[in-house]
Amino acid sequence: MAKTYDYLFKLLLIGDSGVGKTCLLFRFSEDAFNTTFISTIGIDFKIRTIELDGKKIKLQIWDTAGQERFRTITTAYYRGAMGIMLVYDITNEKSFDNIKNWIRNIEEHASSDVERMILGNKCDMNEKRQVSKEKGEKLAIDYGIKFLETSAKSSINVEEAFFTLARDIMTKLNRKMNDNSSSGAGGPVKITENRSKKSSFFRCTLL
Amino acid sequence: PPPAQPLGRNLKAVLCQRCGSRVLLPGAATFAHRELLLPAMRKKAAAAAGGGGDVVREHWLVRDMFSFENVGFTRDVGNVKFLVCADCEAGPIGWHCLDDKDSFYVALERVAHE
Repeated sequence: MAKTYDYLFKLLLIGDSGVGKTCLLFRFSEDAFNTTFISTIGIDFKIRTIELDGKKIKLQIWDTAGQERFRTITTAYYRGAMGIMLVYDITNEKSFDNIKNWIRNIEEHASSDVERMILGNKCDMNEKRQVSKEKGEKLAIDYGIKFLETSAKSSINVEEAFFTLARDIMTKLNRKMNDNSSSGAGGPVKITENRSKKSSFFRCTLL
Repeated sequence: PPPAQPLGRNLKAVLCQRCGSRVLLPGAATFAHRELLLPAMRKKAAAAAGGGGDVVREHWLVRDMFSFENVGFTRDVGNVKFLVCADCEAGPIGWHCLDDKDSFYVALERVAHE
């Protein structure tokens, strides 16, 4: 069958353990319905389909599978990643302080043009808050990264976060496309050539 | 009888039985027979089966991982990954063997059709 989507983005969730990355990926994971079988094995990744500006986008979203406990997240995990969610827990200051270390880790191991976004998770637990929203925003501004506070539990901003990251990746790809086209653009004939190549450029088949 | 077209493609969308999350669009899979053992979906059933599962025989066969609308893949169990609902984690709804990269089975009796 012909491909039925326009883009395919590999996204990663990064951050200290316990910040709720898994819940961002699996919204209802505490539900009694689920068999112990699945919660014991754990989930590797998910495929989700979203639509942005009339384009169909497949997101392949990976959790770190607890590798972060051993600080062993390396190049293999980052390979092919186009977007990274940096997640901390607003009720855990340490997890916030560690975002800087995670950013360094990304700079060492991930592709240099990977899109990043910082998420302050568990914003439904305001009474236990240790990190102010302003602090989160400031960190994001310092690094030039977008920021949102989310609650996986209450489904606040979770979809918006993934849509924002996907949109930023798409914008970056389109810009690259245009740069490539304009460098070779001479006349109408060339424009047609570029157009015909477009579809293969857009299909970012990873894996 | 499976809701299949003459060619054996799924006429209806494949949904999660529990939360209605869209797993496959109409026409994204073909009907296939294969005997597979899937761990039970529900806790009670799992207990009744003694931690075993059900033998399922009728499947929607998907050839490209990215043909799925929404789906989750478990970590490896031997050389198998089980498929679950991407939204509510209900499952296993399907089966994928790492030795056959182009085959993803979704058990008919573990999903809804609409």
